[in-house]
Amino acid sequence: MFRRYDNLTVARALSSRLPIIGLAATGILLLMLCIPAPAADETVDMLTVADPTGDWGFPSPYAHYSRGPGYIRMSLIFDTLVWKDQTGFVPALSESWEYEAHENAYVFNLRKDVRWNDGEPFSADDVVFTLDYIKEHPYSWVDAEIVDKAQALDDSTVRITLTRPYAPFLDQVAGTLPIIPEHVYKKVSNPEEFRDARALTGTGPFKLLDYDKAQGTYLYQANPDYYLGLPKVQKLRFVKVSEEMAAAALKKGDADAAAVQGESARELERAGFTVLEGSHDWIAKLMINHKKPPLSEVKVRQAIAYSIDRQALVETILRGFGLAGSPGLYASDNPWYNPDQEQYAYDPARAGDLLVDLGYSRQGDCYARDGQPLHLELLVTSSNERAGEMIRQQLDDAGFEISMRSVDSKTLDNLVGEWKFDLALSGHGGLGGDPNILNKVILGQGFNSARYDADTRLSDVLKDQNAEMDPDKRRDLVFLAQQIYASDVPALSIYYTNTYWASNQKVDFYFTHGGVGSGVPIALNKMALV
Amino acid sequence: MHVDLLGAVLRDPLGMTGSALLGLVTVMAILAPALSGYPPDLYTGQILSPPSAWHPLGTDSVGQDIWSRLLWGARTSLLVGAAVALISTSISVIIGTTTAIFGGLYERFWMRAVDAMLAIPPIIVMILVAAYLRPNLLVLILLLSALSWPGGARICRAQTLSLLERTHLSAAATFGAGWRHIIRRHILPDLTPIMLALTVGAARRAIFMEAGLSFLGVSDPTMVSWGKIMQQALQFTYLDVWRWWLVPTGLALSLTLVSLSLLGFALEGAMDPRLDGGQRHGDTRSSHA
Repeated sequence: MFRRYDNLTVARALSSRLPIIGLAATGILLLMLCIPAPAADETVDMLTVADPTGDWGFPSPYAHYSRGPGYIRMSLIFDTLVWKDQTGFVPALSESWEYEAHENAYVFNLRKDVRWNDGEPFSADDVVFTLDYIKEHPYSWVDAEIVDKAQALDDSTVRITLTRPYAPFLDQVAGTLPIIPEHVYKKVSNPEEFRDARALTGTGPFKLLDYDKAQGTYLYQANPDYYLGLPKVQKLRFVKVSEEMAAAALKKGDADAAAVQGESARELERAGFTVLEGSHDWIAKLMINHKKPPLSEVKVRQAIAYSIDRQALVETILRGFGLAGSPGLYASDNPWYNPDQEQYAYDPARAGDLLVDLGYSRQGDCYARDGQPLHLELLVTSSNERAGEMIRQQLDDAGFEISMRSVDSKTLDNLVGEWKFDLALSGHGGLGGDPNILNKVILGQGFNSARYDADTRLSDVLKDQNAEMDPDKRRDLVFLAQQIYASDVPALSIYYTNTYWASNQKVDFYFTHGGVGSGVPIALNKMALV
Repeated sequence: MHVDLLGAVLRDPLGMTGSALLGLVTVMAILAPALSGYPPDLYTGQILSPPSAWHPLGTDSVGQDIWSRLLWGARTSLLVGAAVALISTSISVIIGTTTAIFGGLYERFWMRAVDAMLAIPPIIVMILVAAYLRPNLLVLILLLSALSWPGGARICRAQTLSLLERTHLSAAATFGAGWRHIIRRHILPDLTPIMLALTVGAARRAIFMEAGLSFLGVSDPTMVSWGKIMQQALQFTYLDVWRWWLVPTGLALSLTLVSLSLLGFALEGAMDPRLDGGQRHGDTRSSHA
């Protein structure tokens, strides 16, 4: 808008001196003004979203790929009990809810005006059916064990009793689990293979018109029966565009919104596009084999932490588009971040002191103990080998002897999973969601997890925080967990990458508080489209 | 004879261009530390800066000097090319000459092995093996050599078989010369032109394969290589940097390959009596006889 005013002033100034140019400029300006500027509350005939991967699976709850973008495509058709916008929880299928502490149960009061997109009415029985259904047919995004039983108190009230106190329930179950129609799914015994149109009977704002697996395109149409009224966006289209080309596609008008890279983000902002910066949910981590000597000694792990200049890695490898890693996992701009934790500012001399404490002595370029040089192997993949090379140099300078090996990402995950490694450069997302992620990546058994149970205090704190229903007490426990994790260094946080979402003015996008569903860090919340 | 062959190549305009280009790349590789102000793996802190007096080709996405990396990349390429050429040609000559002389089961075994290896496209095998092993420089050289000798071995064997028919060899055998003596004194000198052609061909293929494997990201990550530089540059084609990052590297690789191809043409021309140098070739042969 400011730009337009500037142009007007310039044009007026020019027209007083150069009538012809002035006329032309005014004409162009008039033309510009004639084209209606799309306001955020008008309907949008077609919205095109670019995605570098394209295909994320058939968008039914059981057939979409178990990754964020797949969940997003499903969430356009199916609703959950509660949902989130940029500030926190908002009602969805349930108008209100309350926690009954003595029963350890949640009671949800459902909307009464909801219809499935095939015309059938939605009722409490569908919710009960869904919660029973995921016990038989596990849905990968929700842990069905948390739910003891679900009862329909009447047509629009459901009580869900939990097996144990579980603080992340609203976020990870009620706000993640898509409610499926009983009248369709009760006959389905193999939901992963259920691919006809009836599999997409949902209550959400959109219906699927077309899905092309080979081309990686989706076309959605607004659902006229949607309980919040006809959505603003009439048709929604996903097309496959590589990340490098996304900026060009936006400028050309081939796409209305896309995730873009840092350099493009600045350029698009100057060109008048809206650019949102996402939260730092994706972390690059140096996985450390803390079960194998000498890395089983905490001082060696701390020495590694002091030897790596994480700020330099952000400035060089991420070209400044990122944030240096916090040793306690949460990025410093995360609401759960505890500022009171060991930071391991870059200090190779301190690293050397720690190694000397352990009986190492510097021999030439490298520290050694009992004649054995401090040799470690660093695993990288071709996508992060430049970061790996810089880390290798820094560790080398600090007196470690590092050999680097590049493997493909599946091999790296397998080697880490089987503890057949010393150091490995890896990463994962999810830090924007519920602190349950700490349990997943510290105690969990996946290859993204440090799988660190040597410190029972840390294990206890983590288990307690998940069961603590009082938000303040839970926060204290999460803070404590970060402190212990930072001082134990079972894995080292390297950096968080910036993400950018660029769009024109058709729709006001926003990043969802804590991510869409259980933490998908994509600025594509269906509530922005309705 | 060898001197004549080299002379013939240098008198040929193609051969001269090829030699000059190759000479230039070689000089650049050897003088790399003197020609560049920075080590290739130094992080200068200036990210994606355009060409300047300090950085003739600017810096790449992690702030390393592209010109230095280009020069050091030439070292990798030429080292791989030269080493593979030497090893693979040696294997070709040894297998080729000995199978021709001994014949029998030994010959049949090797020739069937050659047939089998020629039937499989080496680039596919190489990609598969490299993806699994992630070879460092030495392993890469050995692997490329192991895959590139069979064609040459067959040519050497054919040439040796025809040489064995010559009277001077029968004479030498009659005087009691052993097979080692015959190979060293009579066959190898006459194989020299072919060996040179094989060397040039093997070097060209090796440089191309090394760049290809690095481009695919299946080689040693610490190796500075033209293929790797191009792969890294391709991720930033949406910016202007490709002009001083991708293009010079591609040109350097292409020119090196072209120079070797030109040398190969020139050698072929010098060796084939029907194309050129028939007189000289005949002369040298008669002088040997």
